Amino acid sequence: MPLFSRPASAAKQSAETPTTGSRRPLRKTGLVAAAAAVVMALSACGGGAASESADGPVELRFSWWGGDKRAQLTQEAIKQFEAENPNIKIKPEFGDWSGYWDKLATQVAANDAPDIIQMDEKYITEYSSRGALLDLSKYEIDTSKLDEAALNAGKSEDGLTGIAAGINAATILANPKVFEAAGVPLPDDSTWTWQDFERIATEITAKSPQGTYGAAAYGTDEASLGVWLRQNGKSLYTSDGKLGFEPSDIADWWAFLKQLSEKKAVPSASEVVEAEAAPLDQSGLATGKNGMAFWWSNQAPALEKASGGDLKILRFPTKTGKADDAGLWYKASQFWSASSRTKHPEETAKFIDFLANDVKAGETLLADRGVYPNSDVRAAIEPKLTPADVKVVKFIDQIKDELGEAPAPPPKGAGSIQEIIKRYTSEVLFERLSTEEAGKKAHDEMKSAISS
Amino acid sequence: MSAISELSSISRKKGKATPEEKKANSRDNKAAYIFLLPWLVGLIAITIGPMLMSLYLSFTDYNLLQPPEWVGLENFTRMLTDARLHNSLGVTFTYVFIGVPLQLAVALLIALVLDKGMRGLPFYRSVFYLPSLLGGSVAVAILWKQIFGTTGLVNQVLAMFGIQGPGWISDPSTALGSIILLHVWTFGAPMIIFLAGLRQIPTMYYEAAKVDGATTLQQFWRITMPMLSPIIFFNLVLQIIGSFQSFTQAFIVSGGNGGPSDSTMFFTLYLYQKGFGQFDMGYASAMAWLLLVIIGIFTAINFIASKYWVFYDD
Repeated sequence: MPLFSRPASAAKQSAETPTTGSRRPLRKTGLVAAAAAVVMALSACGGGAASESADGPVELRFSWWGGDKRAQLTQEAIKQFEAENPNIKIKPEFGDWSGYWDKLATQVAANDAPDIIQMDEKYITEYSSRGALLDLSKYEIDTSKLDEAALNAGKSEDGLTGIAAGINAATILANPKVFEAAGVPLPDDSTWTWQDFERIATEITAKSPQGTYGAAAYGTDEASLGVWLRQNGKSLYTSDGKLGFEPSDIADWWAFLKQLSEKKAVPSASEVVEAEAAPLDQSGLATGKNGMAFWWSNQAPALEKASGGDLKILRFPTKTGKADDAGLWYKASQFWSASSRTKHPEETAKFIDFLANDVKAGETLLADRGVYPNSDVRAAIEPKLTPADVKVVKFIDQIKDELGEAPAPPPKGAGSIQEIIKRYTSEVLFERLSTEEAGKKAHDEMKSAISS
Repeated sequence: MSAISELSSISRKKGKATPEEKKANSRDNKAAYIFLLPWLVGLIAITIGPMLMSLYLSFTDYNLLQPPEWVGLENFTRMLTDARLHNSLGVTFTYVFIGVPLQLAVALLIALVLDKGMRGLPFYRSVFYLPSLLGGSVAVAILWKQIFGTTGLVNQVLAMFGIQGPGWISDPSTALGSIILLHVWTFGAPMIIFLAGLRQIPTMYYEAAKVDGATTLQQFWRITMPMLSPIIFFNLVLQIIGSFQSFTQAFIVSGGNGGPSDSTMFFTLYLYQKGFGQFDMGYASAMAWLLLVIIGIFTAINFIASKYWVFYDD
């Protein structure tokens, strides 16, 4: 059917030529070709483009969250790997924790997941139970030297979907400068209790300039809640994937926080909300506005760097004054996971093996992602560790005999627990809800988050 | 009305078209469609396709990682009991019903001042328009966060007068207000439209009113407002639709969590959190359709109500 007058006459001319018979099929092939082109174009944006064949270079995408220091170290490690494996190119993708999970979810849904994924325990079940992660036990990754507890943390019904990148523990970091300025001695962390914590923090606030507080508020993630619950004989999750505590337990936790807040041991509600959004190097501890704060052990070196001074790693206070009751545990700081849809599982596994077991990788990454789970690497890199790293390794060693039972792995849906805790913490601090009400509501919400 | 009557006369003519004319018409139509094709393809592939997909997803349980599973109306019934969703609707309605009238009032006021014909008008017009270009942007939202922080600019100024200001954006009772203020600040776009509208009002009306001794205020209420009402209506419809969908400011100012205590949890932000934070894309899709219906209802109300206050000068 002609569209314009001139092409119409052209069509007529061509209609008189002998090709008339083949015109219809020809048009069809044209259509098919166009469709094929579209499909090809689409699949080109979908898959990891430009990663071809056994001989040509393979490009792998590797994504992680973390700050500047981590980005620097990790890129160096990538360079070393590429030097040894000229056929594999690693393309880094990194960003902040806050945007990382939204991005990953979208990428996975779009069938565009990075080949190597830095994974967190909160999300690993979410992804592995839905078949998004590769079972690494089927590939050549040496796990013989890895710490057993750390290795087990990456195992589930779906296989070995994550190799622990480091070992961590929940800690309280103290800034001695703030203590000195206030004239308050540092506590003995092997005997201190929550009462001591309250007293010390209150005293620091009272003796410090306005805007400086004894301690940062807890209640912005699940680590401090986990410790509290364990010290009270409960747990965040049970091994069958349910909540391991009652509404009253979390209400008590908030009641103590409220008490700290009323005594000004911790910052005001508004300041707590603002602090949540601040990146690590602008946190109250790094800027000298908090005497103590709740962090993971592997974050100590980065925080020390940001604060420009010395930091001290402390055990959590206990109810009894005995360090054995602190209820700490070794956490896999992060996992190396691989996308189940990677086109190059062998190369991906090779890179993960490099990260986990190669001394060169260890010498570059040091303790940024926690203490190395591979005992050989840990020993080999010891001389290279910075004083800050050494502190972390020592702390992890120190608490070895005081650890509680390994906690149950976070169930599916655990990724939204932190957000619920944060939200109700601010409800409590702004006195919009009583601690009992917040406990009940938060418990309900968490229950439905992990059961859906 | 003149344009419409012209149109209707054209269509009347069309009715009596000869066969040749009809043929030419259909040829013209085809040409038009060909020229429209790029847009049509975009519309179908980028707008209608995903919309239909999201309609389908709204009846499913879809976690992004596994194929969607049909659950019928479950997502919609869940909305009835979702307290956070109700809260987010409340936040969004507050934002729309306070923010939009305020913004339009400011826009009209500035437009009236600029319309007085001052020197350097293009300069002022640009300056006032600038926030509209920037207002929805991430950078300004971040700036806003700094200005209204506990130790931000606003509180520093207040401190000079011995007033200890709250953490405007970190206190649940003032956070939404700060975002509404940001919205009001972006009055430039409606202002430009108002300004154009004001220029359309024939000066003879004002001259006649002046001769009859009408005050400035009377002139405003009896001449400017009725003559400008179609423009106000246009701005109102656009701004209400846009405000229901606003996302960036709340996302950036609250750090993506709608906090503190969900006080800035806009409907769209909650939708985003459900979809991408909690892998509940089916529910998020259902929410998107709820928003579409809400916007549709309010636009319809707007159009019905317009019959009673919008005045079209023939």
